Amino acid sequence: MSDSSSPDTPTWSRRRLLMAVGAAGGSGAMYRLGTTLGLIPGFASAARPTLAPARGRRTVVILGAGISGLVAAYELGRAGYHCTVLEASHRAGGRNLTLRHGDKVDELGNPQTCPFDDDPDLYLNAGPARIPSTHERLLDYCREFDVALTPFVNDNHNAWVQDDAMFGGRPVRNREYVTDARGFMSELLAKGLAAHKIDAPLDAADTERLMGFLRAYGDLDEHHIYRGSSRAGYLNAGMVEPPLHKGVLDFSELLKSSFWQSNMHFAEGVDQAPMMMEPVGGMDKVVDAFMAKVGSRVHIGAQVRSVMVRDRDVEVVYRERGKDQQMWADYCLNCIPMHLLAGIPNNFPADYSGAFTAVARGKLLKLGLQARERFWEREQIYGGISWTAQDITQIWYPSHGIHRRKGVLLAAYIYGGPSSDRFADLPAAQRLELAIRQGEKVHPEYRRYIESGVSVAWHRMNHMLGCAAEWNEELYKQWFARLQAPVGNHYLMGDQVSLHPGWQEGAIHSALHAISDIDRRERAAQPGRLA
Amino acid sequence: MTRALILLYMLALVPAAAAGDDFLYCTTCHGADGNGNRAIRAPKIAGMEPWYVEAQLAAFRAGWRGTDPADAPGHEMRPVAAVLANDATVARAAAYVAAFAPGAAPVTVAGDAAHGATLYEACAACHGADGRGNETFAAPALAGQNDWYLVTQLHNYRDGRRGTHADDVHGATMRPLVATLVDEAAIVDVVAYINSLH
Repeated sequence: MSDSSSPDTPTWSRRRLLMAVGAAGGSGAMYRLGTTLGLIPGFASAARPTLAPARGRRTVVILGAGISGLVAAYELGRAGYHCTVLEASHRAGGRNLTLRHGDKVDELGNPQTCPFDDDPDLYLNAGPARIPSTHERLLDYCREFDVALTPFVNDNHNAWVQDDAMFGGRPVRNREYVTDARGFMSELLAKGLAAHKIDAPLDAADTERLMGFLRAYGDLDEHHIYRGSSRAGYLNAGMVEPPLHKGVLDFSELLKSSFWQSNMHFAEGVDQAPMMMEPVGGMDKVVDAFMAKVGSRVHIGAQVRSVMVRDRDVEVVYRERGKDQQMWADYCLNCIPMHLLAGIPNNFPADYSGAFTAVARGKLLKLGLQARERFWEREQIYGGISWTAQDITQIWYPSHGIHRRKGVLLAAYIYGGPSSDRFADLPAAQRLELAIRQGEKVHPEYRRYIESGVSVAWHRMNHMLGCAAEWNEELYKQWFARLQAPVGNHYLMGDQVSLHPGWQEGAIHSALHAISDIDRRERAAQPGRLA
Repeated sequence: MTRALILLYMLALVPAAAAGDDFLYCTTCHGADGNGNRAIRAPKIAGMEPWYVEAQLAAFRAGWRGTDPADAPGHEMRPVAAVLANDATVARAAAYVAAFAPGAAPVTVAGDAAHGATLYEACAACHGADGRGNETFAAPALAGQNDWYLVTQLHNYRDGRRGTHADDVHGATMRPLVATLVDEAAIVDVVAYINSLH
């Protein structure tokens, strides 16, 4: 075992190799962010708090019936708090929105009615659509409420990768791209190792193991040459006749695509990796389950007009059925998106409300198309995602309803930026046309299968005007700890006050964080009885 | 019997009340009391003159505003104006906006107000020395408006995102006047002066 090279030796010592790998890791950067903020909770996920029973009649007003608001209403209600939930829109759920036949899409300037056939498998999860195995709190509620879950295919090697920058725009199978890219990289690295063999401080056994690793990783031949791999798929079935191997793709073409920048590794992410799940029948089954518990506490169509924190309580004015109402509650749990809260009269201190304009609203857009036939399944694609460098970014194939006649594709999922605005700026019908036109580059026969569609531009939706809050490291440092702390008896909640904006799990944790703090204060107020 | 009367009373009230909230969606962007929301770059409409609200809704409907690719907030407003059914609906929307009570706009722009006062002389001819506007010249009130919004609109005129459509006669008169504000400091200074008008 040699580890004796001096620090300025240009060859790779074993220790330098390991250190280089560590330094390049994204997880290290994330850990730094977390520790800066003092937020690393340890390996185990925080348990659901056990709340002490409410002392007397303790009232809570919850602004917004999204996931965080519903969780808070459920947990506090169970502990005996008297909760009132005010929801501005025509429905509960917040961004947990499943669109089915006849559903209203309340987009400002672009009202739509979901045109899908009336069928339990034909829906679009326009907000959250997948649940990672690591999102324990959400899974815990699904377990408690008997929300049936089914596997969700997020990553499909048979789906397509399309980029106008490579192969003249011709799509290739995900497995071809990934297999050939790994083969080429492994061969390149093996050649480099062979060339440096004499100088390398790695001993013979290390080198042999590393070469073995590269052979296995890239499917190289015994001479460490990549000559194609069955991992890329066959040209024929190869069952009762010799398999016809695909040729090796031109690596310089693969490099021209932006696919390797992030989408190639998309499903490696802890929130995107198998095994993922979705509720049977639509993500809003989660909302239905909470509403079955707390629906009687929820005022639909009640729009908040002002929030004033007072010494011992919080005053909220809201408009319901054409009339302004005033109420006072011991605690206010506020799930209103920050960028909307900026337009609602309040008396928050500037070091708190300043965040409302500092943190940008996300501009995510989802678009669903109903297909008269599940043509993708005849292309050996069952669930998963095709990626394209066009504005639509991705095409999701439904994991449910396999081999039924029709299906709903998620035909565009745009994370924001100019692509999102290019779509959002169009009237609803033109968005569908653009999505179809771009989809034709992935599936040339696309158009003739599409029957109807619906789009949700979250930054144009009434009572929303945004998707996941666009935090970054600087903004977190400046605002997050203050926003997480209460102002008097007022708490800001929602995925916007989590390190996981855009995920229901983040929303749940923000709610549990707030109610745990309320519980701590309530116990402290009566230590003799409740400590 | 009493219950039945209450029910009848409620049934009679609800449709009228609901009609009054036909335009409640304006408050999603422009703030619960119409006093603007900087976070989504929606200006204060409380205190805006009904004739000006109507004119701007017409401008958005006609595509004089909200069509330039660089005018993102205008793009958000345009479809909302476009779905108003007809001129009568536009007038009702303007009447709805007129009911908002204007509050003090937060000061977000700091500049040399004394220098701005000199620059404002060119504006005063139409918008009035007190910045309260003049319908005769189709010049809206500037005093009390969100300062960040005034800056945005001066940029829009300067850069041709507003006032360039052939039919937008009043917008066209603004462009050469905005051109007298030669740099960013001039724009900030004149808005700082407008902030001092009450």
